[in-house]
Amino acid sequence: MKKLNIQRTSDFEVDLASLLAVMMKLIPVLLLSSAFMQAMVIDTELPQAVTQAIQKQVDENKKNLLLEVDGNRKVTITIDINGAKSTFTVDPLEAKIDRPKLHGLLQEIKKKNPDIFKIDFSPDAKVTYKEVVHVMDEARRSRSSDVRFPVKDEKSGQEIMTDYMFPEIIFVNMMEG
Amino acid sequence: MGRKLKKDLNIKNNSSFTLNITSMTDMFTLMLVFLLQNFAATSVEIKTDADLALPTSNSYKNPIMSLQISVSKTGIKVGEKLVATINNRDIASTDIDPQDTNFIQPLFKELQIIAQDPNIKKDEKNQIMLQADQDLPYQTLRKIMYTASMAGFPQVKLVTVLGN
Repeated sequence: MKKLNIQRTSDFEVDLASLLAVMMKLIPVLLLSSAFMQAMVIDTELPQAVTQAIQKQVDENKKNLLLEVDGNRKVTITIDINGAKSTFTVDPLEAKIDRPKLHGLLQEIKKKNPDIFKIDFSPDAKVTYKEVVHVMDEARRSRSSDVRFPVKDEKSGQEIMTDYMFPEIIFVNMMEG
Repeated sequence: MGRKLKKDLNIKNNSSFTLNITSMTDMFTLMLVFLLQNFAATSVEIKTDADLALPTSNSYKNPIMSLQISVSKTGIKVGEKLVATINNRDIASTDIDPQDTNFIQPLFKELQIIAQDPNIKKDEKNQIMLQADQDLPYQTLRKIMYTASMAGFPQVKLVTVLGN
C-alpha cells in the first residue's frame, strides 16, 4: 500500500501588526492619565450606623478618650467615664511610637467601651506630621480582620460588626499657643 | 567593471524583509496591563512639589475637589501661589502675627479672598485638602489649621499616600 504523502507543518505566523497599532495608541493615553502615586485623604465619612453611634456619644457626652503623644514619643491614653479616670501608657520603642503596642491597647479599650468612637488627640509640638498620621491610622480602624466591634443600628435595631474603632479624631490642642 | 564586481560578490537586491515584532508585542502587553492597573479613576488632580514627601496611610478614601494647600519644607502654597515661607521647618517669623503666634497673616488674607470669591462652588468653600511634608512638626501644621479655621475653612482633609 502506498503511503499518502501528507505534509504536516506546525509553523504559522500571526499578524501582530494591527494589535501593535492598537497598543501604540492606548499606551500614550494611559501613560498620560496614570497615577503613579496614589494619593488618598483621611476624613470621617462613615457608614450610617457608625455615624449615628458617634452622634449618640456626642449627645450623651459621658465618656471621653484623650490620647496624648509627648516629645519623647510616649503615648498616654486617658479614659474618663462619668468622672472616673483611668490612664494607660505606651512607652516609645527606639525613640519612635510603638505602633503595634498602641494599636493593641486601643483595640482592648474599644472592646471594653464599644460605644466610644471619638478621640481627643493632643500631639506634642515636636511630633512630626508622619507620626500624627500613623497614630490616626492606628486609632481609626482595626488592622486584624478577626477583631470587630458591635454597633447597634438605630433604624433597624440590629447589631452589626464594624472594624471602625475611633474614626472621629479631634485635635484638641489646635488653639493652644 | 562594476557589473563584474556585482557578479563576483553575488549581491541580492531584495526589498522585502520580515520584522519579528513578537517580543515588542510582549513588552507592550505587559506595559498595558501595568498602566491599566494604575489608571487614575479619580477626577481630582493632586500636584505635589518636588520637596514635599507625603506620609503614608492606610486610608482608602479618594480625594474630592476642594481648595489645596501644600506645605513643603520651604513654603506654603495656596493652589499654585506661594503665600508664606518656611525656615527650619517652622513658619517664618515675618509671616506670623505678633499678637497671636498661631496666626499666619498672608495665609489668612489669601484664604479670605478665596472664601469671598463668588465663583467658587459652595461645597469647595469650607474644606481644605492639606498636603504637608511628612517631616514637618505638628507645631507648624497646627498654625496652618488654626489660620484656615479662622478664615472659614474648618474642615481639613489630610492628603496621604496609600501604603503601610
